[in-house]
Amino acid sequence: MPLPVLVVDDSSMSRKLTIRAFPGDWDVEVSQASGGQEALDAIERGLGHVVFLDLTMPGMSGFDVLAEIRRRGLDCFAVVVSADVQPKAEEQARQLGAMAFVRKPVKADALHGVLREYGFL
Amino acid sequence: MNHPDGDSRDLLESIVDRVNVGVLVVDAHYTVVRWNRFMAMHSGLAADDVLGRDLFTVFPDLPRRWLTQKLRGVFLLKNYAFTSWEQRPYLFRFPHNRPATTAVVDCMRQDCTFIPIKDGDNHVTHVCITIMDATDTCIYQIQLREAMDSLEKSSARDPLTGIFNRGHIESRLRDEFARSHRHDSDLSVILFDIDHFKRVNDLHGHMAGDEVLCEVANRVAGALRKEDVFGRYGGEEFTVVLPDSDLAAARVVAERLRHCIAARPIVTSAGAVDVTVTLGVCRRHPDIATHETLLNRADQALYRGKAGGRNGVFLYEDEA
Amino acid sequence: MTFQEYTPDQEDALQEVVNIAMGQAGAALAQVLDVYVALSVPRVRIVSADGVADAVQAMIASAQDGDPGDVTAVRQGFFNSLRGESIALFGTEGCNSLADLMGHEQALEKDEIDRELLLEVSNILSGAVLNGVAEQLDTDFAFSAPTLMAMRQPVNRLLDAQALGWDYALLVEVNFRLEAPGFSCHLVLLMPEESIEFMRRGLDAMLEGL
Repeated sequence: MPLPVLVVDDSSMSRKLTIRAFPGDWDVEVSQASGGQEALDAIERGLGHVVFLDLTMPGMSGFDVLAEIRRRGLDCFAVVVSADVQPKAEEQARQLGAMAFVRKPVKADALHGVLREYGFL
Repeated sequence: MNHPDGDSRDLLESIVDRVNVGVLVVDAHYTVVRWNRFMAMHSGLAADDVLGRDLFTVFPDLPRRWLTQKLRGVFLLKNYAFTSWEQRPYLFRFPHNRPATTAVVDCMRQDCTFIPIKDGDNHVTHVCITIMDATDTCIYQIQLREAMDSLEKSSARDPLTGIFNRGHIESRLRDEFARSHRHDSDLSVILFDIDHFKRVNDLHGHMAGDEVLCEVANRVAGALRKEDVFGRYGGEEFTVVLPDSDLAAARVVAERLRHCIAARPIVTSAGAVDVTVTLGVCRRHPDIATHETLLNRADQALYRGKAGGRNGVFLYEDEA
Repeated sequence: MTFQEYTPDQEDALQEVVNIAMGQAGAALAQVLDVYVALSVPRVRIVSADGVADAVQAMIASAQDGDPGDVTAVRQGFFNSLRGESIALFGTEGCNSLADLMGHEQALEKDEIDRELLLEVSNILSGAVLNGVAEQLDTDFAFSAPTLMAMRQPVNRLLDAQALGWDYALLVEVNFRLEAPGFSCHLVLLMPEESIEFMRRGLDAMLEGL
């Protein structure tokens, strides 16, 4: 069964760039969300076992989404994909439950490294 | 490219060396690796004295903490950086090239640009600093400022007494009124005039009248704080704007002014003249909407004083 | 001149390009000042000359920290394939605490320190944002020295439509806040017509690659 993967970003180009960086042979079912609320709904419906999450989004930020995932006790593996590359941002995201941090612009190598590290490949 | 000395690299070398701009290059350890003729001429240190040496050892007077911060920023951020003579007059203390004609500035004013020099891997290996002589610009700016200042002064001053004129007083009062309104701070105004001034003119002549005006202005100016604004409102009428002063404070000031005029006669070319003034005082009150009203009320107090005995201080009647 | 708005795709792509550049600029500032720089979503718009002052004011007023009141502004030119000016706007409050962070010596007057600091911070931010944009569009920029444009003035006084030499410009706004000393800076990039078209071609090339 393909792995449900959710890509969350307010920019559609950015979502496409992330998806394009996925390994070609990765067996996944990809869903997309353009905002925090939409993302949480999708995760509740089981569409995001792995979630690629942007941090700077209008309204609900990626930090807010992480906090909400934890509060609702949702089970997912969150990978932050962010242009905010300050160490503090990464630290804060990890404290809120993010498992990994990938910098924008997304490099396929970096993304594959994360997936390999956590046994998704 | 044709050049008597050979290839285009030599040509570039000689341009960099001879251009009328300071060019020096340092590596990540602040060792000087490039020092052009401009730098050599103005510093008195030839390339051989400087190349391969630590910049701060050769020039111990450089602002070390600030400059390393600046250079570190360029290495780190791979970004241009700038300094202007307007913020930091110079980086290197060089004599300027107008020794015969200029005493206004003590040494060469400099505009500097810090340029990141990158290798093929996009790493900054060196920083090139260019130094432009901005002394002329600086001098023009100083002259311009002086001209503007004297222009402003002359348009804000009453030509006879040298204190502020009516236009300036009004604009300052407008500003102070707005400020006091915004911060809900105190503000008071004194309007005063010279008692029986027409009689002074008639008895002693207009020249003596002018001398009296000047001496009144002089004494009052000497009795005020730096932040008070004092001007001639017209004829023999004067205004004082007192920021951050409530009515009690303004009354004390007004009493002091009255006294410093009445205390001793004013000596004019036509002899000593006894002079007194009458003063009207008003403070800014929340129900006063404009600075004109404030001035009007001070004027009403003054008018009342004129009717009631002169040589005295009169508060606006709501306050009295 | 006849002139075409960006498509939603182009606008989205530009916003993301600026977002990435802003991230790099924030990291640069954070590194220099050793503080965390809070970022928000950048905004892009094409504006007409007579609408630019209102647009800038609206962008600033809708940012999280609200209307800054009077601002101090630093401008800087950039040129090459894209030409334009960046304007950094600082609220009147909040500039003072920067002096310590930047490691300034006491050799200069207080006012001079403030001025030098504002120029420095503006230069870091606009340099980092623009270098970030340039890198993604495969170009690079040269910069003019930053100069103080206005001290403590209302935003709508900064840009005089009559004096602008263009009809339409691309307006990009990013907002940086330092968590510690309560300091915020709006960086506004303005690029006239020919840069709108250069940018359009660059964005199309990126979108085609998807």
